[in-house]
Amino acid sequence: MNLFSRGTLVQLLIGKSVAEALLVTAVAAGFYLTTTNLNLRGWLDQADTETVSGWAVDDGNAANRVDVQLFIDDQFIEQRSANDFRPDVHQAKRAEDDWHGFVFKTPALPPGEHEARVYAVYRGASATRRTLQIIGKPLHFRINAAPGQ
Amino acid sequence: MALDSEPPTTDQRASSAALTDRTLAVWEIVSVASSIVIAEWMLAAAAGFSKAIIAVPVGLAVLLILLSHRARGETLRDIGFRFDNFLRALYLLAAPVFIFAVVCLIIGWRLGSSFDFFRWHPKRYLVLQLALGFVWALVQQCVLQGFINRRAMLVAGRGWRSVLVVAAVFGLLHLPNVWITIITLLAGAIWAAVYQRAPNLFALALSHSVMTWFIVSTLPPWALHHLRVGVGYFF
Repeated sequence: MNLFSRGTLVQLLIGKSVAEALLVTAVAAGFYLTTTNLNLRGWLDQADTETVSGWAVDDGNAANRVDVQLFIDDQFIEQRSANDFRPDVHQAKRAEDDWHGFVFKTPALPPGEHEARVYAVYRGASATRRTLQIIGKPLHFRINAAPGQ
Repeated sequence: MALDSEPPTTDQRASSAALTDRTLAVWEIVSVASSIVIAEWMLAAAAGFSKAIIAVPVGLAVLLILLSHRARGETLRDIGFRFDNFLRALYLLAAPVFIFAVVCLIIGWRLGSSFDFFRWHPKRYLVLQLALGFVWALVQQCVLQGFINRRAMLVAGRGWRSVLVVAAVFGLLHLPNVWITIITLLAGAIWAAVYQRAPNLFALALSHSVMTWFIVSTLPPWALHHLRVGVGYFF
């Protein structure tokens, strides 16, 4: 192989590497942007033997009610809309009205330590893909054994 | 103070150039393989993009392959588009393909698979499917043998080392489909070894399409997973 050909080939290899790196970066960024709601705000306030509660707001569409899903110990429990009365969220200027709270009833669980997670459902622009974004942080709670067990 | 300031000898220059050629060959193999990995794994899952974006890494790989052949002075005949050694290549392939077919029959029988030689795209005429399979096999063999094998020989020389490189690249590109990865690893080694003795892409593509037909017809569908590879395997 002559020097000119080798030089051209090396240039093409470098150019190809750069182009593919940029492409992969663009795809990764695009994937993040199309599967993540950057305007989502919310928090998981409480999880105990009775209820799991918190609030969620889509700042990009404040009139919209966010759909939220409860998972306990990584098992799906229930989906509902975050449209419960939470005036404190409004007063803290986190929402434009009082109706962005959610309260799940804690299901019957075996005694022991449990973990509750609540995710917001994000549909994005594509109807073919839905993603879940965690709200706040997972909360742990304990179910005590009933007397006599 | 003594310095190694003497100009390199002709032998040293030749050795250095050879080393650069080998490095370049490795880089070429890695570059083409990475384009296929990107197409298989990343872009098929790209949200918010048209799948036509796959054309970018594929197009870059094709451009690299064409320019590399030109830069290295490889003709179509060198690559394997020829007929003078067609029968010799078929002769070398006959025994492995026959053994492969028998092994497929035995494995399929042991796994309780029902043999059906018309289930490779049942909506198409078998002759048409075999023709399409041949064309796709020719494309794969052109890249695998005409490009990767020839560069593997530049790196590791003719023989089992370069054959292993080709087989490993071909097998790994079929992950995470474990059955197809194992099959392509073995078949890749056979094709690479035959190509090094009789470089004929038409004979390899013919055996490739016939072997694929036999795999689809004899092995259980649950093992083959519709021959899907890359991220498509999971959908």
